[in-house]
Amino acid sequence: MSDPVNPSVDEPDYPPELARLPPGRHGLPREFVARNQYERLIAGLAEAVAENGYAGTTIAHITRHAAVSRRTFYEHFNSKDECFVAAYDTVMAELRERVDQAFNQEEEWPQASRAGIAAMLEFLTAEPHLARLSMVEALVAGPVVVERYDAAIQGLVPYFEAGRKGRSAEVLAGLSPSTEEALVGGMVSLISRRIFADRTEELESLLPDLVEFALTPYLGSAEAAAVARNG
Amino acid sequence: MADIVKRAGIARNTFYENFGSKEDCFLAAQQFAMSAALSQVVDAAGEIDEWPYRVEAGLAAFLRYVAEEPALARTCMVDALAAAPTSVRYYEESLQAFVSLFKLGRDVSPHGKDLPATLEEALIGGVFWILYQRLLDEESESIGGLLPELVEFALTPYLGAEAARAVAMEGDDAAAWGARA
Repeated sequence: MSDPVNPSVDEPDYPPELARLPPGRHGLPREFVARNQYERLIAGLAEAVAENGYAGTTIAHITRHAAVSRRTFYEHFNSKDECFVAAYDTVMAELRERVDQAFNQEEEWPQASRAGIAAMLEFLTAEPHLARLSMVEALVAGPVVVERYDAAIQGLVPYFEAGRKGRSAEVLAGLSPSTEEALVGGMVSLISRRIFADRTEELESLLPDLVEFALTPYLGSAEAAAVARNG
Repeated sequence: MADIVKRAGIARNTFYENFGSKEDCFLAAQQFAMSAALSQVVDAAGEIDEWPYRVEAGLAAFLRYVAEEPALARTCMVDALAAAPTSVRYYEESLQAFVSLFKLGRDVSPHGKDLPATLEEALIGGVFWILYQRLLDEESESIGGLLPELVEFALTPYLGAEAARAVAMEGDDAAAWGARA
């Protein structure tokens, strides 16, 4: 029933949601198996897309990487697009949770922002396939995903809006309504262009630049640079 | 492919007489749009000596182009990144033209030497993102109104918020926009 099992040699270390169950008989409850198949399909899609690009990925690629049958695929999804949307949502939820956790662990906003940015870079570096899926392939995966991509990026705006709290009237006067949108867009552009160019390993070295960029409008250059360098 | 020939009102054969593939056609559209936008930016910026006003003039010209040609602008600001590798390369090259205009600000900035190496890329990415969001909302007619905030955003890291704001608010921006449009 299942396709020839061919797990890749250097299997990526996916977050728990994307972890897979070894294929074959295991006597596990049906619901658990179904849930696990779903997760395997999502992880399979991420691998297939990393290998072939979104346009070049077929359902056969996905089922082969997930080591499930075509029928199983159609029990969960009606199309490749639908599977991609599910994968995208899973990756973004995971990314968002990590950013949120890191951000909330810090008392002060500048340090919280730094921690949030660091968490994002760390996740994307550790998961180059998922980084590519969420930042590159999402743009070509059809209008539904593009809309979610835009919403996900705009969803980062409140982390920076929090930086307005407690600033002097002068500083606030210098912040236009679109400041945060521009900051987030600029940071995402730096990050995604590294991923496009297959230079994901450079991402973590962007941390000080991104932090200084994001904090300057609120703290001024000198203070932003200090937080960027020393945390 | 069918969508392209239908919208262009041409035969499929005609398409292939002009372009080898959909990717070639995309790259041509991207190059057409980017070189038109860039030449307007360079013309506008080249007339001005003082750097902050030069950036303002360049941005004004770019916004004007985006407002006039929203579909083409979208092609070179966003869709290019999701297109074939040749398009991504061209995107990167054209970005460098904006980078060099912004980089001149390091000479007039009191802390020009200490600014992060990627600052200009991030600023341009931010400007593109704002414009893209307005295009998505089909608000191309309101794009001109973004000039002061984008100028302020672009100048702040070099000059500080106060000086950046002063430049952005100085002229009657609506009039400047109208006069050049």
